[in-house]
Amino acid sequence: MTVVASPSELSRRKRPYWTMARRDSLAGYVFVAPQAIGIAVFVLVPLLLVFWYSLHEWNVLAQTFRFKGLENYHRLLSDPGLPEVLIATAIFSIFLVVFNMSLALLLAVLLNQKLRGITVFRTLFFSPVVVSLVAWTIVWSFLLQNNGGLNGILDHFGIEGPNWLRHPTTAMIAVVVVQVFKNVGLNMILFLAALQGVPKELYEAARVDGIPAFRQFRRITLPMISPTVMLTSIITIVGSLQVFAQIAVLTQGGPGMSTTVLVYYLYQQAFEFHNFGYGATLSILLFVIVAALTFLQWQMRKRIVFYEN
Amino acid sequence: MAPVTFSNVKKSYGAVKVIHGVDIDIADGEFVVLVGPSGCGKSTLLRMLAGLETISDGEIAIGDLVVNDLEPKHRDIAMVFQNYALYPHMTVEENMGFSLLHRGASTAEIKERVDWAAGILGLAEYLGRRPGQLSGGQRQRVAMGRAIVRNPKVFLFDEPLSNLDAKLRVVMRGEIKALHQKLKTTTLYVTHDQVEAMTMADKIVVLNGGHIEQIGTPLDLYDNPVNQFVAAFIGSPSMNFIKGRVDGDHFVAGDARLPVPPGAAEGRDLVYGIRPEHFTLAADGGIEAEVVVVEPMGSETQVTMRIAGQNVFGTFRERVLALPGSRLTLNVDPADTHLFDAETGLRLPRDAV
Repeated sequence: MTVVASPSELSRRKRPYWTMARRDSLAGYVFVAPQAIGIAVFVLVPLLLVFWYSLHEWNVLAQTFRFKGLENYHRLLSDPGLPEVLIATAIFSIFLVVFNMSLALLLAVLLNQKLRGITVFRTLFFSPVVVSLVAWTIVWSFLLQNNGGLNGILDHFGIEGPNWLRHPTTAMIAVVVVQVFKNVGLNMILFLAALQGVPKELYEAARVDGIPAFRQFRRITLPMISPTVMLTSIITIVGSLQVFAQIAVLTQGGPGMSTTVLVYYLYQQAFEFHNFGYGATLSILLFVIVAALTFLQWQMRKRIVFYEN
Repeated sequence: MAPVTFSNVKKSYGAVKVIHGVDIDIADGEFVVLVGPSGCGKSTLLRMLAGLETISDGEIAIGDLVVNDLEPKHRDIAMVFQNYALYPHMTVEENMGFSLLHRGASTAEIKERVDWAAGILGLAEYLGRRPGQLSGGQRQRVAMGRAIVRNPKVFLFDEPLSNLDAKLRVVMRGEIKALHQKLKTTTLYVTHDQVEAMTMADKIVVLNGGHIEQIGTPLDLYDNPVNQFVAAFIGSPSMNFIKGRVDGDHFVAGDARLPVPPGAAEGRDLVYGIRPEHFTLAADGGIEAEVVVVEPMGSETQVTMRIAGQNVFGTFRERVLALPGSRLTLNVDPADTHLFDAETGLRLPRDAV
């Protein structure tokens, strides 16, 4: 007679508490813990603190910290300077994103050739990314001064250059261009990697089928690298909204308010005018704008991005 | 449809020569297979015809038109790639119609051509899918559909079946051949698989190291290989080779004596060639062979044996029940044997044998 343990008997047998499944899940939590703690301490807590501060009037010099409810938010809605700041921010971001992404893609396509010494050029265009931001901007501020390097060069050709950083239009162009030249290499490298991930047989098939080069780019290359376009556009848009040091070094938000973007305005309110409460309110506004734009892009990804699976 | 001619075609990458003067005539509507081991230059030849590689020397003509300096799109060819090269972001329909769209065809024309191709290839119900949603065989068919919608003068296939599993390969082999019989378009097909070459080709070109070893019909290559390379490459399992010398009407290898046709060249090192199926079991008084491994296949039995210390392989219709280490006696018809020069590898002509 064969003896078979009944299910109830089996379950009565003693099983150790640390089963394999429990050990695996503990290991999982342990692996995730450093990152989770890091995010909590350095992202979530500050975010909540900023929101808390935004409900207060906080003057560091006077050492006042008073709960004001939504008063700062009312001030936000009636701030006469804010529309100008938002318009400057929008102009800066739109021009920066369009200029940065199209230049990065153009460079990536040009540098995606198999030519002798091409890596020299790739390195050259990427190198500003690793240069110190402030050093980069200070050098450009010398170049862009009224009697600076750029106008010196123009002078050789008999052209009298404008005082770049002292006219509203040229100042905006200057901060956009300086920022694009600083960071275009990063997007370029990402695009370059994406371009090299497109199977070359697709282009060979297109050549045999007689598809003209421009259409190959539009109908094959762009859809194939669309996930990277998505990624770089999010990075670039978010980055463009956080630009501070360049503005601080080059224009200090001027002339007038023409280059006072949201982050610089926030800095002025908090650290120049010592309204930390209102500064915190402005950073909540910035957070909402960034979150909304990212959410919007994420929603659009299904229509514009092609994923293999 | 058009004939294709390769005249003394050469290819080198810098100082490295990879194709050393190749001549091939492909008749209008013929199905020609380029076969050879990897690195023999077969894909390079195909890509030179497609216009994806430049031609270092010599001439390639499609019909009367020398295509050396023509862009691929002006050669009126269509190509099926090894990994299919389907556009992953387009549907099956868009993939097949893409080339027509850029040749100024109307939407109705494109639809008609795509539907026609999809009908032939059994893809009608998959037109709305993307390649990622298809099986390997279906993707292969889409790649073929993309080639046939244009009705080109020449089809080029670059190892189209090597990404498929063995069973599907057999099915697709049949489909490609059936497609060719229906369309009768001149076809150049590259493979490293001699079974594909044998089963599909009107004419096989055996390439090795950038040289042509032999051109001929499948059975001609099988029965009359010009050298040891072709003899070994064509046929599966491969031809057996035994080293030795001719003595009178026998080939002597160690203590074994194998029959040869009378009048064979005596007194120099030769290689005796015999295909596995040309061994027959003898009742008595044949060639002695020691059994090494017996592999029953059901329809036949494959036996690895040793004759004169050299491994040989035999396939028998009978069910051989011999145990390893036991002895078999074999017969060979002298007419089925080949003799190769041990030094040059060339087969000795029949009349000189």
